[in-house]
Amino acid sequence: MLQNVMSRVQNQNKWLFFIGVGFVVVFFVLPIFRLVFLSFSSEGSFTIGNYTSVLQDRSTWKTIENTLYVVGGSSIIAIVLGVMTAWVVAYTNIRRKKLIQVFIFLPFIIPSYITTLAWTQFMNKNGFFAHLLSLLPGSVDPLNMYSLQGIIMVMGFSHYPLVYLLTVGVLRKIPRDLEYAARVSGASKWQSFQKITLPLAIPGIASGGFLAFLASLDNFGIPAFLGIPGNIRVLSTYIYEQIVGFGPNSFERAATLSVILGFIALTGTLVQWLLVKKSKHTETAVEDKEPRFLLTKRTRLTIELLLWSFLLVTTMVPLLSMLSASLIKAYGLPFALENISLKNYQFVLFENQKAITSLKNSANLAIFTAVVCLVIGTGIAYVRTKKPSMISKGLEMIIGIPYALPGTVLALAMIFAWMEPIPGWNPGIYGTITILFIAYVTRFLILQVRGSITAFMQVDPSIEEAARVSGSNGFYKWQQILIPLIFPGVISGALLVFLTALTELTVSSLLWSSGSETIGLVIFNFEQAGYSTYSTAFSSIIVLFILLIFVMLAVLQKVWDRRMLHHDHSN
Amino acid sequence: MTTQIKNVNKNYGSFNALHQINLDIKEGEFVAILGPSGCGKTTLLRLLAGFDSPSSGEVWMNHKLIANLTFFLPPEKRNIGMVFQSFALWPHMNVRDHIRFPLKHHQFLSKELKPSIDHRVDEVLKMVDMLHLGERMPSELSGGQKQRVALARAIAPKPALLLMDEPLSSLDAELRKGMRKEIQQLHQVTKASIVYVTHDQSEALAMADKIVVMNKGKIEQVGTPKEIYNSPTTPFVASFVGKANLIKGKWEGAAFYPFHQPSIKWDGTAVTSELRAKNLFPARPEQLELSLSDDGVKGIITNVQYQGKEIHYTVTVEGEEWVIHQDIFAEFSIGDEVTVHLKEWTYGKKMDERKELHFA
Repeated sequence: MLQNVMSRVQNQNKWLFFIGVGFVVVFFVLPIFRLVFLSFSSEGSFTIGNYTSVLQDRSTWKTIENTLYVVGGSSIIAIVLGVMTAWVVAYTNIRRKKLIQVFIFLPFIIPSYITTLAWTQFMNKNGFFAHLLSLLPGSVDPLNMYSLQGIIMVMGFSHYPLVYLLTVGVLRKIPRDLEYAARVSGASKWQSFQKITLPLAIPGIASGGFLAFLASLDNFGIPAFLGIPGNIRVLSTYIYEQIVGFGPNSFERAATLSVILGFIALTGTLVQWLLVKKSKHTETAVEDKEPRFLLTKRTRLTIELLLWSFLLVTTMVPLLSMLSASLIKAYGLPFALENISLKNYQFVLFENQKAITSLKNSANLAIFTAVVCLVIGTGIAYVRTKKPSMISKGLEMIIGIPYALPGTVLALAMIFAWMEPIPGWNPGIYGTITILFIAYVTRFLILQVRGSITAFMQVDPSIEEAARVSGSNGFYKWQQILIPLIFPGVISGALLVFLTALTELTVSSLLWSSGSETIGLVIFNFEQAGYSTYSTAFSSIIVLFILLIFVMLAVLQKVWDRRMLHHDHSN
Repeated sequence: MTTQIKNVNKNYGSFNALHQINLDIKEGEFVAILGPSGCGKTTLLRLLAGFDSPSSGEVWMNHKLIANLTFFLPPEKRNIGMVFQSFALWPHMNVRDHIRFPLKHHQFLSKELKPSIDHRVDEVLKMVDMLHLGERMPSELSGGQKQRVALARAIAPKPALLLMDEPLSSLDAELRKGMRKEIQQLHQVTKASIVYVTHDQSEALAMADKIVVMNKGKIEQVGTPKEIYNSPTTPFVASFVGKANLIKGKWEGAAFYPFHQPSIKWDGTAVTSELRAKNLFPARPEQLELSLSDDGVKGIITNVQYQGKEIHYTVTVEGEEWVIHQDIFAEFSIGDEVTVHLKEWTYGKKMDERKELHFA
């Protein structure tokens, strides 16, 4: 009888296996395959004509040149800022590091198109910065944000947290004795940084730099808000314009450009992955959070002042300019008490039907995506950590592709895949909100998988084994042991999915249809139509909402920690 | 409950982690599995626990087949308890909850225990002397206290077989000795069979009824601590457990001629026939003695380590290094030319007079 049970379990596994593979093929592999296929076809026959015509087009090369400037420039800014802030936070004895970290992550949490909006308000001719400059002698104008420099600057400020995040961990894991040994051997502070710390931190810095590079390649919001008005195109906005332009062969051209862009992005992802893999050996080392450089009071104060002014100027001040712009009755009026009103807020929250629908749509999309990803992603993560095999590893990599691909590329692949899933049959998915559901789950599933894998990895295998030896391998093992232990990690993964889906712009800008507008899209449309007061008001609401969620999360975390009395995670 | 392992093999790809393992564990027996890291002892324990299944062979518990190639009973369906090397305490549960968990879920809990779970929790806490710390969380406990909780959790449901995976290796040396005594007492009180995995020969010698010495996935020797220590049957057991010098030479009956020197004759009555067949004499460091006299095996002292109650010498003899422990009354220095003798009394008269041991 027991043998029967065993074979039934094995059959169940077989079914699960086939369902899993089928799911991945239909949702992850086929769309990309179709995109590549379309880029090689013209009127039903195989051709490389799309590539030759796209590559002979002068505007393609101009776009590639712009893309190189934007991606290169913003990555350099991100690396320099990221490494500097990481070094200061990891190694010196400055105060309030936790708060500093919150401010560093702020541009990461707030969608980049809102940051862009904030910067345009900050640098506005009637804005705060211009006002400050006019107080100075001479006539200096604020930076024109609708330019390559503007795009590069906002992108650099938006992506340096990525470099910071990957560098700060690596820096803390370098044993302090290594640098001390260099100092005892006669090297100066600077020499030991140059010859010991920097080379050891290179894997972290490089993989953070690559992430910034990929994020810049993928980014649509910043070049869409700043580049389209100034006729500056990068690959992501160029593809967007091809599709919404509906020119002759526009879909084939867009597919061709997407394959080129997607290829660059996936190559970059591969390099990044190899870098992370190479630096794995430091993974086991413990993070040493004690300061290594005890600065004198005066130096410390100087560094703190510099760091805080940088953080406030790059995060709070633009956001406050945006908030002040949103409170003004009509665009162009000076910021004065008699001009302040909440009527822009009233308009977006209660009067404008599109804005109200978008709030509902985005909330539905975000909740649905987060719940589906939570269940499927955590399941995949469990299999991935408990039964590591080549198959599950391959599955994880394939699931990661839609996130690694630039959003415009994925959106296009989704259109081709779901417009007519089987030639001649249109199930009516494209053109409704359903295609956004599918696209979001495909794109963001990997975020939950990674979050849940991290959560499972922190639970030592013997913790689960102890529950099994104690007689429980089903409901109680999960309810009483595993779920409480993985909960914080899994929930923060789900929250990331929720927020990303809530404020998503790139994919929805191509997949939306009347009635399925998202928050990002409505802000984008307000801005394109010149309604800055509405776009800033709507953005301010979103920022406040995001901050509220994070405050709630921080409180929850505190309560949780107190309940767990978690002084160490080792056992 | 009795446990039998029959002809078990375990392969990971081409790596042979366990090779033809046969072992009987009797009711109430304390069995130590002893071996260096990577010898397969933990694999064997995980096979008994049900976290792994054999590639071939069978595992029987209580006269029932519980694992072979095609079938195996998962851990929660075996009447076992387990203590993990890392303790594996659940960070979000207090001490009492740890002990209550198996009492609620263990599938072999006796009818007497079921209605009085809270009483049993108190009883077990008292056994490990943790009654006053029942509300503490794992992060508020010291290493030794964590170990006691892990032990208490494992014994609470009165499992028939208790598995211990190097339970003392995360503790410091002093605490380890104290915990040995507690584990022995728990064994006497619970009367469960215990399988105790360790790489520390003194732990195995001190606690076990039976020691299984393993090396490279194979069982080298099974026996009582005295048999394993005094009568090793393989060179590995002699050097791993007794730290013996394996001296080459010629055997004639019970007489041994080191390095085939006919003038020197050692009494090897106690040496097993298996080692005699390999022309080896296992001489533990304390069985050898140094002097400056002429008759004996000649050697040169190459290292001296003062240990307080004795001195550890390394002596190079015929190109080989022997370790010899000597009392502190005769001191030698590096470079001294000495002769090595077998202490007569160890295996000779005194042992015979006491008639404590019988040798094969």
